[in-house]
Amino acid sequence: MDRQIKTLQDKNSYLDLRKQERVTLLEILDRALDKGVVISGDIVISVADVDLVYLGLKILLSSVETMERLRGAPMAGAQEEPT
Amino acid sequence: MTMNRTIETDSQEAFIEEIEKVQDVLPKRIDANSKNVEKGLAKLVLTLVELIRKLLEKQAMRRIEGGSLSEEEIEGIGETLMKLENKMKELKEIFGLKDEELNLNLGPLGDLM
Amino acid sequence: MKVYAYGIINSNPEGIVLPIPFKEGTNSGMDEPLSGLGEASVYNIPYRDIAVIVSELSDEAKEKTDTYILEHERIVERLMESFTVLPMRFLTVFNTKEDLLGMAELYYEDFKDNLARLYNKVEFGMKVIWPADTIKQRIVDVYHKPEGDGLASYSQSHKTKHNVSISTESPAKTFVKEKFQEHIIEKEFQEEANRCIQVVDDYFNRIACEKKLKRLQTESLLLNASYLVDKDRQNEFKQAFEQLKNAPSDLKFLFSGPWPCYNFINLTKKPSSVDYFNTEDMLNRLLAQQGFAQERNSV
Repeated sequence: MDRQIKTLQDKNSYLDLRKQERVTLLEILDRALDKGVVISGDIVISVADVDLVYLGLKILLSSVETMERLRGAPMAGAQEEPT
Repeated sequence: MTMNRTIETDSQEAFIEEIEKVQDVLPKRIDANSKNVEKGLAKLVLTLVELIRKLLEKQAMRRIEGGSLSEEEIEGIGETLMKLENKMKELKEIFGLKDEELNLNLGPLGDLM
Repeated sequence: MKVYAYGIINSNPEGIVLPIPFKEGTNSGMDEPLSGLGEASVYNIPYRDIAVIVSELSDEAKEKTDTYILEHERIVERLMESFTVLPMRFLTVFNTKEDLLGMAELYYEDFKDNLARLYNKVEFGMKVIWPADTIKQRIVDVYHKPEGDGLASYSQSHKTKHNVSISTESPAKTFVKEKFQEHIIEKEFQEEANRCIQVVDDYFNRIACEKKLKRLQTESLLLNASYLVDKDRQNEFKQAFEQLKNAPSDLKFLFSGPWPCYNFINLTKKPSSVDYFNTEDMLNRLLAQQGFAQERNSV
């Protein structure tokens, strides 16, 4: 299914796509933001927990744009067909 | 080659709303000028007081449930809890703090209350 | 040069014993090169028989790292296709290669244990929204009796010894009654939540190897569950969700996966900072004592 939308012909399905992307992003954030192998301490310069929470907002804002740019190229994780 | 990862839901909006509440994406950075520092300290102190107050309240309810208290004791507890709650309301007003502000995010432990 | 870490793998392909780990700088035995954050090539840094999958982080790229979570996830999932991978938390960066190797040495046993435990497994996510307001209203209707003393009727129905007489009303007594009502309603609400979660979990329990259940993260978000499932049982697991979805209920579901096993990494090593360890431990114990501990991890 070609997910590239060149015109806003079908506004509803476009909005649905944005919602779907948002859900995808939130699901990724729910995992990668503070799960997995979590190393803290001096050897790691990953940002502190507070900053990660703050970053959550920036990630949401900028990654939606990134998603739109990436659309067309295969993205990790196929989009679900509309149910 | 692409992962067959699916994300399936019939209620995108509902989940977006709830998950965003949990992820709490609002910035938590505190601006450290003197007014805010005062308020920040008050917030911290009141948060801890609120925690203790809620713990005491819960403890009291458990005892009432257990049926081990006399009428006088219930009266006494009621008075104290009432005064505590009113005092907290006063303090919150004085410092201009809302209930939602009196919470601590403990990172991996989630929120204090 | 700073290195950004994506995950940990065994450098000997599963099932085949090779004495020599991947040469550093190779593309980890994958057919095509991968590019990571800021277009930097992804390669591996071996330590003993494991490898940390990394890419170099230029200063410009570091400024923009907050936009890279999708890239991070893409790479981890690509690795997942070929290997058992322990995904790093997003934004794990090391100042030097030596720091990274130090970390690998410190956590080596943990990594080996996790790689073995998570071999051939994937994670699925299950979130459930329930009609919290309706549930609460139902409970309130049962316990709130305008004509009588809610307390007494609760006592009767639960056969407690307690019997509050309303012979002498007072503000304090009224206060207590209201608080008690709230307490009972909340308690019933929690119990109803547990029952509902049990029903949902029963669909997946026997298929999954492990699970992590987070209950009531918000009033409406009844359940945020992660299940560890053998790759070979993926379809069975998906079918179980289909059954759940089709069963009549007033629940809403968000089903996702397969994911890298983010929620099932167990590290026994704690950071050396004493304060960090003690505070968390202490708070956990304090909260558990007062019955506030949420079941963040469930058996």
